[in-house]
Amino acid sequence: MDTQSVANEVIKSTREKQAFSIIALIRNEYFLYLVSSAAFVLLWHWVAKEQILGKSLATPYDVVKELGRLMTIKLAGKNLFGHAWASTQRILIGFSLAAVVAIPLGLFMALNRTVNAIVKPVFDLFKPMPPIAWISIAILWFGIGEPSKVFIIVIGTFVPCLLNSYNGIRLIEPELYDVIRSLGGNRRHEILQVSFPAAFPAIFAGLQISLSIAWTCVLAAELVSARSGLGWIIVQGMKLTKPELVIGGMLIIALVAWLTTLLVSGLERVLCPWKRHIEGL
Amino acid sequence: MAYEEVKVQTPLYLKILPVLSICAFFGSWEFIVKTGIVPSTMLAAPSEVIKLFIVKLTDPNPDGAVLSQHAWISLKEAGIGYLLSLLVGLPLGLTMGWFTTVRGLFRPVFELIRPIPPIAWIPLCIFWFGIGLWGKVFIIWIAGIVPCVINAWVGVGMTNPTLIQMARTYGASDWQIFTKICVPSALPMVFGALQIALAYCWTNLVGAELLAADQGLGFLISMGRRLALPQMVVLGMVTVGIGGAVIGVLIDAVEKRLLAGIRR
Amino acid sequence: MEKQKNVHNKIVCTDIGKTFIQKGTQQVHVLEKISLEVHDNEFLVILGPGQCGKSTLLRIIAGLETPTEGQAFLDGKLITGPGPDRGLVFQSYMLFAWRTVMGNVEMGPKLNGLPKKECREIAKHYIDLVGLQGFEKHYPHQLSGGMKQRVGIARAYANKPQVMLLDEPFGQLDAQTRLFMEKETERIWQTEKRTVVFVTNNIDEALILGDRIATMTGKLPGKMGPVYKVDFERPREPTDMEFLKLRHQITEASELVL
Ligand SMILES: Nc1ncnc2c1ncn2[C@@H]1O[C@H](COP(=O)(O)OP(=O)(O)O)[C@@H](O)[C@H]1O
Ligand SMILES: [Mg+2]
Repeated sequence: MDTQSVANEVIKSTREKQAFSIIALIRNEYFLYLVSSAAFVLLWHWVAKEQILGKSLATPYDVVKELGRLMTIKLAGKNLFGHAWASTQRILIGFSLAAVVAIPLGLFMALNRTVNAIVKPVFDLFKPMPPIAWISIAILWFGIGEPSKVFIIVIGTFVPCLLNSYNGIRLIEPELYDVIRSLGGNRRHEILQVSFPAAFPAIFAGLQISLSIAWTCVLAAELVSARSGLGWIIVQGMKLTKPELVIGGMLIIALVAWLTTLLVSGLERVLCPWKRHIEGL
Repeated sequence: MAYEEVKVQTPLYLKILPVLSICAFFGSWEFIVKTGIVPSTMLAAPSEVIKLFIVKLTDPNPDGAVLSQHAWISLKEAGIGYLLSLLVGLPLGLTMGWFTTVRGLFRPVFELIRPIPPIAWIPLCIFWFGIGLWGKVFIIWIAGIVPCVINAWVGVGMTNPTLIQMARTYGASDWQIFTKICVPSALPMVFGALQIALAYCWTNLVGAELLAADQGLGFLISMGRRLALPQMVVLGMVTVGIGGAVIGVLIDAVEKRLLAGIRR
Repeated sequence: MEKQKNVHNKIVCTDIGKTFIQKGTQQVHVLEKISLEVHDNEFLVILGPGQCGKSTLLRIIAGLETPTEGQAFLDGKLITGPGPDRGLVFQSYMLFAWRTVMGNVEMGPKLNGLPKKECREIAKHYIDLVGLQGFEKHYPHQLSGGMKQRVGIARAYANKPQVMLLDEPFGQLDAQTRLFMEKETERIWQTEKRTVVFVTNNIDEALILGDRIATMTGKLPGKMGPVYKVDFERPREPTDMEFLKLRHQITEASELVL
């Protein structure tokens, strides 16, 4: 079920019967999207033009122009795509490292009480600590190069990856194991045929959460110290007092972060075609 | 009778292992620093951290404030930003879930802001507000508003359509249905949002303070790095962690209270 | 009388008792002194109200629970654990959501190490038997309740068990589908005879399907009530004279117990 629209189903069906009118138009969602987008851009333009916030806001036009410029010229040896890729690359590395360790560990903890009794208390110590708080320690340990950025991302994405694979297994209906056992399967079959596939959607949910945390982490790390990446672009904009560079950087971050989210949900759709109908989302 | 009280024990080793594991963790931490396996310029032993904690309770040097003041500043920023984000985010999300007009007007902007990590706003915040209180409040506000809107919106969307239909047959207006049916049935999701938003606010607060602050726990951490005092870094991290845990427990308790009042 | 002496007892339960521990501290006495015999190739129905321990009894026979008192035997051998000789069908279907109909049905043969091609053939055969041909590639969420339970039945059958154990398999279906599925069950059973233990709380279902009906009494701990022989001809109709007479008799008796 499409959760967002259920509550409005009733409204929509009554509305469909109405003839075309101005009222129907201003109540049309897509028309309103258009109006509000336009209004937003115009307002933004006006505020920037009249310098209501001082010189610290650039007009949309300036931002687009700046983005166009960044695509062609090189800043610190990389053009815009280079910097976007630098950030994405850090995320991919840190993210995969964390996933490779945390997901199996979470599965183990859920499947084995002894492992759980050993790992869970230490994990619970680290859990409430915001990953960004690790930046200083990371710099002390690894300097300001790539490893410290990857480290932050690993720390940040580790928690949701582990928690979700752990809970994914613990929330499995125990009778599903009975099915395997009554069909003649053993403990190994229970784990391979039920635990893993049934935890899959939860693991993917964990990956999505991790991904947004990873973007926060990589930006924080790049804002503190970096020579490339989208965070660095923003910092450049700040240092040079060029709001168009800052806002352009933010827009590109939004775009790339959104694209990576799409990538993960696309992967999920391919890997578990049965999922979206079950969770109702 | 069919029901009887009995005592069942969890195996002893499952009770001891967690304690052992925590002890082993702190023990080996102390050990690797004290024996110099990890140089003391990179990591501080737990005992050092406790020592510094006691000192920082009263001594504002070298970072300009005692620990409680840093903590208070952070709490204040997080609290104001969080409350503001609830104040704006929840009504916005709830109305976006029910009124097409509201959704049509706000969704494009919301979708634009949603994927931007809140700390990416830091440079703009510094332009607009400087590095004082309100810049950080703004970042936390942005951080908290996204989960609030999403959860309230989805919560309204999960209202049982039969209830809405029923209300319609009784002649209820859109507004009445919204306040009497949609909002109550969205409450569980809204409470979920309170928690998610708070955790998210706390994370981003630390980020904001690391980058732009002259007081606060995040500032303490980054001063620790600049002064090459690992025990100060760890002290800041631990305080932030404890703060996060305490807030989580509090919200949990409040949520249980409130939800218990609503459901049965 | 003469005929009865020759029947072979497939399953024998002797004075089974079961006590659960709930929430770590509470002991619940669920079954008390349950004795039961199930004959070879017989369709035995266990009839009882909700929460009287029917599922628990069935799970003990399946080997998924161990009784705290007494024993259960299959072919004279003590039941110590689950095995492919007993197939279980669950009230809430319990299909593998991540597998297609085919994947679900061929699970049993696969777990028992049969070659891939053979698994396919067996699964295909039973999918056809339960009338799901054409739905092999569907996922469970694409099926209706009745179809889901057909998959559940085919999955249990595909393992070629000697005994089928069904736990209120049609409890979640609407009355119409339920009646239809009962007819189907009868047809499937007559095509491939097995010993069947069928748990239900619906007296009409019991009378349509059972060779014998073993009743259980309500309230915990559940105890065995009288056993009725249903010896009128199949297919039975709920409007037959004999049907109504036996129905009346069972209702009277169980009301006395309650
Ligand atoms: N694994 C279990 N642990 C604790 N209590 C159980 C367990 N299984 C069943 N029970 C209890 O046994 C009682 C009877 O359950 P059940 O056998 O499912 O009855 P029925 O199938 O007749 O409805 C219930 O009250 C339930 O709480
Ligand atoms: Mg039952």
